[in-house]
Amino acid sequence: MSPSQHSESGGRRLDRRRFLTTAAIGGATIVGASALGGLDADAAFAEPMPSLDTAIPAAFAEGRIVAINRNVLDVAGSHGERYLIQLTNATSVWKLRTTTAEAIEVGDGLYARGAAMPDGTIAADAVWVNIVNVYVTIRGIAKDRLHLQHGSAEVVGHIVPDTTTASYLGGALTADLSKTRIGQEAQVLGAWRPADGNIDIARVSLGH
Amino acid sequence: MACGSTSLWAGEATWFCCGNAWGSCGSAGTGACGTCQSSKHMAAWPNLSAACYDITRPDLCGEGMPRRTCGAVMNVKHQCSGATVCVTLADCGPRTKSFCGEATCCNGACRTNRVIDLTPSAFSAIGSLSSGKLPVYIYE
Repeated sequence: MSPSQHSESGGRRLDRRRFLTTAAIGGATIVGASALGGLDADAAFAEPMPSLDTAIPAAFAEGRIVAINRNVLDVAGSHGERYLIQLTNATSVWKLRTTTAEAIEVGDGLYARGAAMPDGTIAADAVWVNIVNVYVTIRGIAKDRLHLQHGSAEVVGHIVPDTTTASYLGGALTADLSKTRIGQEAQVLGAWRPADGNIDIARVSLGH
Repeated sequence: MACGSTSLWAGEATWFCCGNAWGSCGSAGTGACGTCQSSKHMAAWPNLSAACYDITRPDLCGEGMPRRTCGAVMNVKHQCSGATVCVTLADCGPRTKSFCGEATCCNGACRTNRVIDLTPSAFSAIGSLSSGKLPVYIYE
């Protein structure tokens, strides 16, 4: 059963948000595996979303990770905020692909969505690490990379074997990037590399 | 100004970053309205101004979208889940003309053409950032 669906626990039906806050309050520290099944963020939204418990306010965080203490990410927001983000059994983690908390590193950027806890922390429902989604123009093509222009900046987009896919004019995803052309406009969804500012490409959507 | 329930448009929603943030967003700036931040429920609209429209040209994809300016608010609703987020316009985009005919589907129903760009905060309120695109209805 997906965590986006209801699960029986103690005779009471739990939605995803109730589950993750319960896990956070209970001090659950198991990350990367779930008692409820798959934790893919896309799958979490594949089914109609259950009504969120209005008694538990939603929360969002954005910034860079400055420390990792067990299952808590200490994040410095880009506008001076500070967030403590709890990873629980119900947290889905994306870093170029769906992965586990072990892939998260200090220095990574992230967006996190979850529930605001009474102690000021955020119990994360989903964490997207280093994710970027940029509009670019293709300036160069090599076997293992695309040279991209994003605004006035030049960025290298690395083609990752068994991961990078392409979509041509909204068509089905394919691993074949041979129809990519210089000068083509594209949207690149991928993972930013903090070390050099380049991008590992998850998906490139080619336009006209 | 409050978000309303009068149907305005339908199509694909994508996401973008803005403001002073990490990664590729660092050079994005605060958008055409000077207020855009990734951590707030904000959006980019293809017809924010005449100059904006010249860049995005949704009409070339058959989308004669109306003018809405900085500060206008809209409800954006996921076509299938019903999840809804209220956003404030803060930038120009997406570049609809570059992806004419592109469709995003759920439960067998598809929405065509990029008609609104959401900040990560707004997009993640109704879908997963890793999906990149969502089929949505827009209300004002």
